[in-house]
Amino acid sequence: MGIGELISTYGEIYLQSLMKTWGMTLISFCLAMIIALVITVMRVSPMRPLRMAGDLYVQIFRNIPGVSLLVIVVYALPYLQLTLPYETCALVTITLVVSAFASENLMTGINTIGVGQIEAARSVGLSFGQILRHVVIPQALRSVVLPMTNLLIGTLLTTALASQVPLNPPELTGMVNYVNSRSVGGIGAFFISALGYAGTSVIIGLIGNRLDQRVRILR
Amino acid sequence: MSANVTSMRDVLYEAPGPKMRRRIIIGTVISLIVVLIGLALIIRQFYVTGQLAPRYWELFLKPTTWAFLGRGFLGTIQVAVTAGAIALVLGMVLMLGRISKIAPLRVVSRIIIDFFRGVPSLLLIYFFFLVIPKYGIRMPSFWMLTLPVAFAASGVLAEVFRAGVNAVPKGQTEAAMSIGMTDGKIMSKIVLPQALKIVIPSLVSQLVVVVKDTTVAYVVSYPDLMQNARVLITNYDVLVSMYFVIAIIYILVNFGINQLSIWMARRSGTRIITRNTEDPI
Amino acid sequence: MTEDQRIDTVSSTHDAGAQPSIEHAASSAAEQSSSSVPTIEMRHVDKHFGDLHVLRDINLRVEKGEVLVVIGPSGSGKSTLIRTINRLETIDSGEILLEGKTLPLEGKELAALRSEVGMVFQSFNLFAHKTILENVTMGPIQVLGMPKKEAEEKAMELLKRVGVAEQAAKVPAQLSGGQQQRVAIARSLAMNPKAMLFDEPTSALDPEMINEVLEVMVELAQGGMTMIVVTHEMNFARRVANRVIFMADGQIVEEDTPANFFDNPKTDRARDFLDSIKGH
Repeated sequence: MGIGELISTYGEIYLQSLMKTWGMTLISFCLAMIIALVITVMRVSPMRPLRMAGDLYVQIFRNIPGVSLLVIVVYALPYLQLTLPYETCALVTITLVVSAFASENLMTGINTIGVGQIEAARSVGLSFGQILRHVVIPQALRSVVLPMTNLLIGTLLTTALASQVPLNPPELTGMVNYVNSRSVGGIGAFFISALGYAGTSVIIGLIGNRLDQRVRILR
Repeated sequence: MSANVTSMRDVLYEAPGPKMRRRIIIGTVISLIVVLIGLALIIRQFYVTGQLAPRYWELFLKPTTWAFLGRGFLGTIQVAVTAGAIALVLGMVLMLGRISKIAPLRVVSRIIIDFFRGVPSLLLIYFFFLVIPKYGIRMPSFWMLTLPVAFAASGVLAEVFRAGVNAVPKGQTEAAMSIGMTDGKIMSKIVLPQALKIVIPSLVSQLVVVVKDTTVAYVVSYPDLMQNARVLITNYDVLVSMYFVIAIIYILVNFGINQLSIWMARRSGTRIITRNTEDPI
Repeated sequence: MTEDQRIDTVSSTHDAGAQPSIEHAASSAAEQSSSSVPTIEMRHVDKHFGDLHVLRDINLRVEKGEVLVVIGPSGSGKSTLIRTINRLETIDSGEILLEGKTLPLEGKELAALRSEVGMVFQSFNLFAHKTILENVTMGPIQVLGMPKKEAEEKAMELLKRVGVAEQAAKVPAQLSGGQQQRVAIARSLAMNPKAMLFDEPTSALDPEMINEVLEVMVELAQGGMTMIVVTHEMNFARRVANRVIFMADGQIVEEDTPANFFDNPKTDRARDFLDSIKGH
């Protein structure tokens, strides 16, 4: 089956599938950012139990393979009286993994600031809240643009995990399976999906680079 | 990630005064209670659903269980090490192409690198598992898993190598040129050896990604740790405990690899390069 | 630095401006010591870093308008000493008083106090994401609640005084070290400080930039600013210091006028140290 034939037969569902991938990427990335913010606040708080809990969270979810987490969410949690729809399972898995890496990015962003500027801010008489608002957070946010861009691409690639649960329509990776089980999709089905990912990655990368150049802090 | 992730959080707060110290103590106690309650609720959920029953856990006391899981782990290691080795070579070749003086070679290498970095490893596995057989090529499940994992890693490694080459001071190349070395000699004798030294911790940390990618072995029915765990699950009906134990094993292995790379980076005074720290595509 | 960029009286509320010469300033500071409350006072201050006793029973008075230079080998505790004054370092025991009031331990009171004591660091520590102008206006706007326009006018005036007004729209990384340090001084001055602390302000600078920063500091001193300066710049000390203290192993080993200290150090340690820095 040629690519032209593939598109005429499966064009619409490919489009839906691309939307599914984009949608899952966006939702899990946004949720992961919110969680990462909370986890990072915990990790930099002066309360040791919160720090430890935050560190543990990050170590668990940055080191667990996505598949290993997905099977727990899909198959084990129902035994613990928590049954989620398939798509939610995938979103939860992706979000948890991405949030751990996002928190690491934020910590690195905070680390780029340096003790000196914080002491200088203290010497001027800024309060803790003002130091966070005017010195720490703006600089941390600007310096994480590039790592977060990479993480957004990483999130896009991680959504392929969702091909391991039944979805309708399937996302881009699941589409290869979907097409193959219905007709002889061959290499064409693979390349259409690959193009969907690679094209999206390139666009995200371009936007991220441009944004970074606008907000980058000279050091 | 950088090796000094914990440094800033200690200076964010200044040394507390008596009032603040009291508040921190109170906050610590409260947060400790909250964390403990959270843990207790999780354990309770295991308990009330009967998942703490001995029959779900006693198989982990049997040596045969661990022998079987161990064989799976060996399979995981075989795939990871082979894929890692292929990715090292391929990544190096792609990097050399990417920085070569021949323009077409540069373009092609760049496209391949960006392609491997820009598609999920699962999609590459589907390519080997679903697409290639359609063209009459028969491949053992080991290679159907190892090759795509290796290809996915090679794209990232090429960029890691390139970052390493860029990190070698320009003066080194200039000095080599001034004593009349050829471009090839400069690369192989001066730049690459130093670049390799810089990226070794990063290469080790990249192994985590490879190990994670191997967990989809069940797609091609290759007996790795995850696949063998699934076999035990069907035989003993121990799903929850088994999946959690397997997850903990993976977490510990990857944590160990990460700590090793951080330790190596600290010792050699280098930075760990991951796809998160590099320029996006 | 040209003549018209000269700093006159820095603080308008300050009345120590009528000091014609350094000698006079020294004697007037000495006269004040018996009558008025010192601007900065340390009583029996002790501090440990783990097993290391970094400050041992420090007693110190700095009068209004006085310039005190702290000198000593690295690790002698001189940086720690001035960092305790605005509580960037805590102390284990003893007392630190500013204008007769005990240094607050935390909260709004501490922040308010810090805003009244300027601090200049070895590594400048300008806010990397803010322009030069914003670096100087941050304190007045955020801490003093000054309207933005007024803060900017004042900041421009200060930047002009320290000779970097043309750089106002740039970010710190675009400036030379000497320029950055002058901006850091302007940032402190913008808060109308009652005293200024300098922690090795010229140690991180290339030699050709040291003088442009010292010039600014000299004019500040001559304008009557109360200053504690940790530095090895002997010429600076000789020109403007009322007193020099020499520290070693966390103790004040010697205390004298600059002329006496540099020409006839009383202790062997001070003599050895002076020999070692003269060698450079």
